[in-house]
Amino acid sequence: MVAQPAAVLANDEELLLPAEARGPRVPGRVVLAGNPNTGKTTLFNILCGARAKTSNFPGTTTAVRTGRSQWPELAEPIDVLDLPGAYDLHLDTPEGEIARAALGGASGQPDDAVVVVVDACNLARNLVFASQVVAVEQRAVVALNMIDLAEQRGLTIDVVELSRRLGVAVVPMAARKGIGLDALRLALLTPTRTPAQLPPANATPEVAMAWAEGVASDVTSGDRGVDGVDRLTERLDHVLTHPVLGLLVFLGVMTGLFWVLFALATVPMDLIEATFAHLGQLTETWLPEGAVRDLLSQGIVGGVAGTIVFLPQICLLFFLITLLEDTGYLARAAFVLDRLLSRFGLPGHAFVPLLTSHACALPGIMSARLIPDRRDRLATILVAPFMSCSARLPVYVLLTTLLFADRPAAAGLAFAGCYLLGAGAALFTAWIFGRTILKGHARPMILELPSYKVPSLRNAFMAAKDQGLSFLTTAGTVIVAICIVMWWLSAYPKVAETPQVQELRARAAAPGLDEAAATTLTQEADALQSRAEQSGSFAGQMGHAVAPVFEPLGFDWQLTVGVLTSFLAREVFVSTMSVLAGGQADAEVDEGVVSRIRGMTKDDGSPVFTQAAAAAALVFFVLAMQCLPTLTVTRKETGGIRYAALQLGYMSGLAYVVGFVVYQGLRAAGVS
Amino acid sequence: MTDRRERRGPRTVPLAELAPGAMAILREISDQESRAVLQSLGLTSGARLRVCRIGDPCIVQVRSTRIGLSKHVAQSVQVTVSGGESW
Repeated sequence: MVAQPAAVLANDEELLLPAEARGPRVPGRVVLAGNPNTGKTTLFNILCGARAKTSNFPGTTTAVRTGRSQWPELAEPIDVLDLPGAYDLHLDTPEGEIARAALGGASGQPDDAVVVVVDACNLARNLVFASQVVAVEQRAVVALNMIDLAEQRGLTIDVVELSRRLGVAVVPMAARKGIGLDALRLALLTPTRTPAQLPPANATPEVAMAWAEGVASDVTSGDRGVDGVDRLTERLDHVLTHPVLGLLVFLGVMTGLFWVLFALATVPMDLIEATFAHLGQLTETWLPEGAVRDLLSQGIVGGVAGTIVFLPQICLLFFLITLLEDTGYLARAAFVLDRLLSRFGLPGHAFVPLLTSHACALPGIMSARLIPDRRDRLATILVAPFMSCSARLPVYVLLTTLLFADRPAAAGLAFAGCYLLGAGAALFTAWIFGRTILKGHARPMILELPSYKVPSLRNAFMAAKDQGLSFLTTAGTVIVAICIVMWWLSAYPKVAETPQVQELRARAAAPGLDEAAATTLTQEADALQSRAEQSGSFAGQMGHAVAPVFEPLGFDWQLTVGVLTSFLAREVFVSTMSVLAGGQADAEVDEGVVSRIRGMTKDDGSPVFTQAAAAAALVFFVLAMQCLPTLTVTRKETGGIRYAALQLGYMSGLAYVVGFVVYQGLRAAGVS
Repeated sequence: MTDRRERRGPRTVPLAELAPGAMAILREISDQESRAVLQSLGLTSGARLRVCRIGDPCIVQVRSTRIGLSKHVAQSVQVTVSGGESW
């Protein structure tokens, strides 16, 4: 099966070179190139194992994967670069640009060896790209992948003849099963090049295609041309791309995905939170009281916990999405949803980021990498945080309960309304942006629907690991820093105990008082002190200063402090309000917390949460960009601060305006 | 096949107007923006197509590649119907 002359095999011994004696035979780097859906990533994962990382290609926002591969023939591992799949080397797409920048010595690395991965079941189209690469690359090898599937479909490919026509070695492979790896390494270490009749560089697509079809039909037997699709794909597509059935299946698959995401991710998330809470307590017992202890136990431990807690969802999501993508289903889901989403200027692929953002916008925005077109990707990233994430849940619960105290049905409706409002705002915004700042580039769908395959667990694990690491190293570090700053703002400056607190403490310490009464008095003192600290901290002071801005929405300074502190993460709103209401820093919304918060009064003694103010706050939290980690990820994924700033400005602006309209409207309608 | 085409003359129809299962030969792509991408997927002049699903979006097969196209794109792909010679 291997298209290597026997003489080459005899030289095998020579290849066991010591590190320092690497001759010109050993390539400096191996670059993987090819069409999408050719199993390129599978090959990369098998070559590099766990030693791989995802990073942006220099000067672009398109991710490429780099890794090192240890070969038995070589003393030292060799670098491997996995280029994004491209259909045409000369096409003006980000993938084409990256391929041009990395191939043909353009990257300043003339000792690269290139593997062009081609799909044996789809030879003619793949050969166009292969011929383009072979034409510019001295050291190229063609990996004829998925040869096992081709054989199953009755195709036989003459590898020796294909090698002759291309002028480079052709290695038949089944990367999924690890078949052909030895031959591939050998071909890369013993470059052969013979003259071949390739289409000229300036060939029209028709000429290049005619050449490819000529070669493909000469080397392939058993091809049934346009009728030669596998029956399985044909049958599955009959259901999965159906306008109605396809949508139903999609809903089912997504429900399952979410169920798994919620059910499985909460276990490690709870574990992480408990572990770090324990760690914080340990730090507090080990270290003497003071600023350093507080910084460690609350600032740093809290910040790291607040970052790592996102990991389970991110890893699990990418694991599941990679499985779905590998099967070929993801392309069908995008196909089915394109009609719906394209009305709003979003691509069919946007459903993954938009749905995922209902759990959390961070993995949601990261999953926008699936979207091939940059304009479409930007539109999706910008609107994804409008989706009601799980961090909004406690806020919704608190505010809807405050709004509809004795009417649980109405509270439930308002709750559902929040989700609809968020999704509606996302689609509306995508529509508006598509006609303004992201104008003129919207591309109608042209989407390859690859054959269905059994997914690879290895690929899924690798993707989960890669995305988790990439989140930690880039966004994670910034998020930790932000958490520490936000903690500092709400913990400093320290406020001395007020006379009232001192008096309570003195009474608690009085001799002869029974233990229960003393505990009650101490708790009362602690609560009063927490409230004084919250109010006197930098965040509290800012709340006082900024309060006039939020007055038209019916927010007093306390609600404003809640808005400011929850900028770190929305769920902080509940604990902030609880502290300001004179309770413990309680994140759970229980009856005690709700009734305490309901009893909160403004400085003039009137209630803080009037119907109108609570409604305005609810709408504000649906729409506002109250999440710094999301902004960090947006900045990273869009390659600059510009779109993060736009997202913050637009969402906060919209939230303010709608909150204003709701408050003033309700007041005008007679609701106080 | 050449004879048939000449007899029919240059009369082409948009891909979007074909029935499911119809075979066709691609003649021209009038949408400038989509042309290069479609060509890179193998939708070049003279390519034999099979319509797998009609509507918006639709599915067309060229060789062993299945491609999903929005109606807007399918409208711009001009083809001549080539009947079912291969069936």
